[in-house]
Amino acid sequence: MSDEVLTLEQRRKLQEQVLVKHHLANILTHWFNVAMWLLLLPTGIGILLEKTYPASSTAWNDLMRQIFGSTASLIYWHGVWGQIWLAVLTFNIFIGFRKYFLTFASTRMLLDKDDIRWLMIKPWHMLGLRKHVPLPPQDAYNAGQKLYSYVVVVGSFWIGLTGMIMVYSEHIPTSWQWVIQWAMPIHFLAVGITFSGVIIHVYMGAIFPEERQAFFSMFTGKVNGLYAYLHHRKWYLRKMAEKAAWEAEYRRRYREPAQVEASSTATARPGAAPAEAPGGD
Amino acid sequence: MADIKKYGFVIDPRRCIDCRACLVACRAEWNTPPGQTRIWVHTDGPHGEFPAVTQTWVPVQCHHCEDPWCVDACPTGATFKREDGLVLIDEEACIGCGLCVNACPYQVRFRNKETGKADKCNACFHRVERGELPACVATCIGGARLFGDFNDPESPVSRAIKDQVVYRPITPEVDTGPMTFYLAPPDASAVQVSPQPRKDLPAEVFWRKWAIPIVKLAVGATFLGQAGAFILQLLRGENEYEDGAV
Amino acid sequence: MSDQPLEKFPRLNRRKFLQAAGLAGTGVAIAGSGLHDIRRVEAGGSVGHLPGSYADKIVPTLCEMCVWRCGVRAKVIDGVIEKLEGNPDHPHSEGYLCARGQAGLMMTYDEDRVLDPLMRVGERGSGRFRKVSWEEALDYIADKMLKIKENFGPEAMIFSSTHNLSQPLFENLLYGYGSPNYGTQRSLCFNAMVTAHLLTYGIEEPARRYEGMNYIILTGRNLFGGISTSETRALMQRIAEGAHVVYLDPRFSETAAKAAEWLPIKPGTDSAFILALIHVMIRDELYDKWFVSQYTVGFDELAEGVQEYTPAWAAKITEIPEATIYRIAHEFAENRPNAFAHPGWRTSNFINSFHTERAIAILNALQGLCPQQGDCMFLSEPAIPLGKPPQPGYPPIRAARLDGVPWKYKFVPPKLGVFQELRDAILTGEPYQAHGWFIARQNPMMSLPERQKTRAAFQKLGLVVVMDIIMNDSAWYADVVLPEATYLERYDPLHAVGRRVFLRQPVIEPRGQSRSALWIYKQLGERLGLGDYFQYEDEEDYLRQQLKPWTEQLGVTLDQLKQTGYFDVPDGYEGPTYRWDTPSGKVELASETLRNAGYDAIPRWYDPPEPGENEFYLLTGKVGQHTQFATQNNAYLYEVRPTNQLWMHPAKAAERGIANGDRVRVTSPAGSVEIEVWLTEGIRPDCVYLTPGFGHESRGLRKAFGRGASASDLHLTFTDPISGGQALTQTFVTVEKV
Repeated sequence: MSDEVLTLEQRRKLQEQVLVKHHLANILTHWFNVAMWLLLLPTGIGILLEKTYPASSTAWNDLMRQIFGSTASLIYWHGVWGQIWLAVLTFNIFIGFRKYFLTFASTRMLLDKDDIRWLMIKPWHMLGLRKHVPLPPQDAYNAGQKLYSYVVVVGSFWIGLTGMIMVYSEHIPTSWQWVIQWAMPIHFLAVGITFSGVIIHVYMGAIFPEERQAFFSMFTGKVNGLYAYLHHRKWYLRKMAEKAAWEAEYRRRYREPAQVEASSTATARPGAAPAEAPGGD
Repeated sequence: MADIKKYGFVIDPRRCIDCRACLVACRAEWNTPPGQTRIWVHTDGPHGEFPAVTQTWVPVQCHHCEDPWCVDACPTGATFKREDGLVLIDEEACIGCGLCVNACPYQVRFRNKETGKADKCNACFHRVERGELPACVATCIGGARLFGDFNDPESPVSRAIKDQVVYRPITPEVDTGPMTFYLAPPDASAVQVSPQPRKDLPAEVFWRKWAIPIVKLAVGATFLGQAGAFILQLLRGENEYEDGAV
Repeated sequence: MSDQPLEKFPRLNRRKFLQAAGLAGTGVAIAGSGLHDIRRVEAGGSVGHLPGSYADKIVPTLCEMCVWRCGVRAKVIDGVIEKLEGNPDHPHSEGYLCARGQAGLMMTYDEDRVLDPLMRVGERGSGRFRKVSWEEALDYIADKMLKIKENFGPEAMIFSSTHNLSQPLFENLLYGYGSPNYGTQRSLCFNAMVTAHLLTYGIEEPARRYEGMNYIILTGRNLFGGISTSETRALMQRIAEGAHVVYLDPRFSETAAKAAEWLPIKPGTDSAFILALIHVMIRDELYDKWFVSQYTVGFDELAEGVQEYTPAWAAKITEIPEATIYRIAHEFAENRPNAFAHPGWRTSNFINSFHTERAIAILNALQGLCPQQGDCMFLSEPAIPLGKPPQPGYPPIRAARLDGVPWKYKFVPPKLGVFQELRDAILTGEPYQAHGWFIARQNPMMSLPERQKTRAAFQKLGLVVVMDIIMNDSAWYADVVLPEATYLERYDPLHAVGRRVFLRQPVIEPRGQSRSALWIYKQLGERLGLGDYFQYEDEEDYLRQQLKPWTEQLGVTLDQLKQTGYFDVPDGYEGPTYRWDTPSGKVELASETLRNAGYDAIPRWYDPPEPGENEFYLLTGKVGQHTQFATQNNAYLYEVRPTNQLWMHPAKAAERGIANGDRVRVTSPAGSVEIEVWLTEGIRPDCVYLTPGFGHESRGLRKAFGRGASASDLHLTFTDPISGGQALTQTFVTVEKV
């Protein structure tokens, strides 16, 4: 929760602000990912026969084979979708590497001191304890979300690599057969761990009321300023600074009449927290 | 005439003359890569001292077991046991991981060098379906290899074992219910005749001992955790004003 | 002129191999489709490999992997022969094929096939050839042959061929051209058996019937190694039903493993054993008195002659116990009429092998295996008459045969000959010098003893032509190599077995430029001015002419025959009844013919030569996976038996410091070879054994080249004066560790 009390006026002003949390590329990639997981997970757990490798149930195994016609067909389509999934993600990351991925990774994935402290305090809050201890300010993604991103990146990498090994296994010589043999449990483990993360992610993103704004931002891309200020302070401040800098540049270029001179140049927006200097990175 | 078939083999080593026509017929039928074979003829001997010498030959193929360990080992069912008893491999589903090859106590499976898939005798099921015999059986000059439906009392195999002492290739440690019956004691020194207990591969051990429990734990814990959180949430209720949504 | 290295094909697998050679429109979507073919798996089974039985065409024809000529059903998919099955309609296969029969399609698809006529450009034996057209090759051969005829007489040209279905046309070439010099492989194999039975019964190759037989004596004749499909099956069936087989062989072969008794008889002493049996049968009056009195001549002379051949005497010579010999004689007689002694097959062992064969023929006569049986075990079947194209008579032959038939070998039938004498005559130039040799589907470079001599003989000739399917050793040394189509790609003249007449027909079009013998002989014949002996348009025309009497009588057409593969001659057709084609009209226990020629009228014992102190008998034999020298390069047969080893008894090996698997040098007066040794208790200590067929020198056989060793480098040439048979076991060798 917030570490200080805002006035209702401040709250209202913040609520009216709109920030873009997710660019279109992020949104599309995210939902593409969701869609592929919806195809891959049911078929994947359908492939593994329950009797020896209990991932689903015999009924599910049979249903999947019935729908696809045969084990071979089931595996084939799982492989096709898997390769599409991997290809699009890889494409997106490489093409958008500089503009999207690098920025994304540096601000939304790396853990800093605030994140570490946040991780030590937040679990108590979840249980309804130690409410008096304030949470350190978080960036665009909080520490929990950052940890999740590790799971996703590492998990997806291993899922994709082992998946490709299995799809193209016929080209692997018999002396390297152990690679295929290990690919299977690693694929299974990576999917399982990632899926556990997904369970948390889905709850926190879609069901947990505090994150309602975040959920919708996955469609519209936008969150309001109050949400940003309360939950992702460092990001909020940085975005305000960015906007101010952009406006200053705009004015300089197009010689807009100067606005009301404010006491400081960088925080000329109403609703900015008066006591805070622009901070963050 | 039974409706459900139970296919299997009867081998009479006394009739095998080591002509190897069966090996060539199988290779021709299936285009097995050079150096790999789906069936064997084992040489037992010569034993004894001149001139009291004996020698036997023992033909071997996949036994299409009643309780096939290879089918158990396959994660996807790419190898499976059909209702008529034949154990087959769907090559399009197989990814050539080799767990089944390792699992077979008779070591009658191999990974085909050219296709990269698991491979073994499939009793020439396509020939059987057309009323022909498997290629090795059809060409066996000595009449040492027999194949047929054990559920049919008139089949060659049923008649061959009727009132005979038969030898099933099992040991006290390993009994997969092999559907091959020998009419004379076969050479127990051949792995394909006398099965060896098998060990799981390291990847299988990892899978069973680590991956499955970890995933069960992780998914279970996160699911329960979120379920618990959801319950708390329901108990607590939502406050849209606090949350800043409106 | 550029050399023509033999083309390299990238893969062994014939389907992929044809794709690589750009030949087949195989277009089969199924093979190797992997995960990208989501066609529903048929019945849940594997379709990644297209099994041979999904044939779109099944063609009945005849095998040619050995002389047994089993009926075959060839399965074809998209123009590729994928699988061969035995033809149940053929009495020699009854639906079964041996390893060689199954592997036959890999002769057609052998990477090392000769697919174009070749003419030598380098030294003989250098393997340097250039591809030429049929025109050029045949014109060249005809030209040289006509020059040889003009300068030296037609007899200076030798023609040799291993007997096969197109033999009549080969003989037209030979005799039409005017040469008497006809070489076949028979003297390396059959001669003792054939001449002995000709002189005893008046037939060349007695029939063998196994049904109901309870007691069988096999003198050699390893039926489970030297496989003749239906006969091998019949023997196994009898054994399974309880028949008692007595098997004589110095080595423990496959048949020894299945026989009730393996008698490791001392090499060269078979006749002593059989003569002792005859002695007991006569002395103890165990023979069929009625048959002997009715149908034989010379019994008294025989009885007198075998008096000294007691079991005790034989025991010392053969190293088989006296009691055993005595017992076998009695058991043999007691089991009459269900007991016989196999007449033998390859009987080219010792010079006294002729007497062994005479003794066996007589032993069976004493059993009277004829009228009581209802039909006679030892009469051959009547020949079915077939039509043939008209041809003139042959020109008179002026010269004597180089191989000494009949001026040196009175009893050898001309169409068998004495092959090794032909080769020797080339070297000696006596009685005249040969200048050319036309070799059809035969490999004398490897089959004749003393390979060095054969090489030297080739070098002496002005023209060597070899007709073959692969670059076998004789082809390697030839001037011209003519590619014959394999048996799966050609028509041959009709072949009768009993009352059934079979067709050999092409399963696929001949690959490359290969052609059938019928075509080759006609083409060559015409260029030699012998067109009148080849009065057929093409192969089908020839066959129609053969069929003509039966087309008229039964309405059988060639097109029908192509569908069924055979037709039956009805029962009304009469053949000769019990009549033996001998001077007396009866079974000749004593032969006046032999006596008049200055030889023993009855079989007698002659001491064979024996090895010296450090020496071994060098045994030869057969394996079920190869046919003489022809199949070692076949990919499938190579897989199941790639090489040979020297069998040796462990005690003798130990004496020489030889361990199992060691490389040893085997030396005879003719030469020496190096080979890996295999120690076994299954051989007499005084013997060593080497499977023939290996040790190819032709680099054109990329799989077989250099594998194992050939006994033809070791064998000395010994010829039996009566039968002309080679004595392949009379060469003795020393063995030492390398």
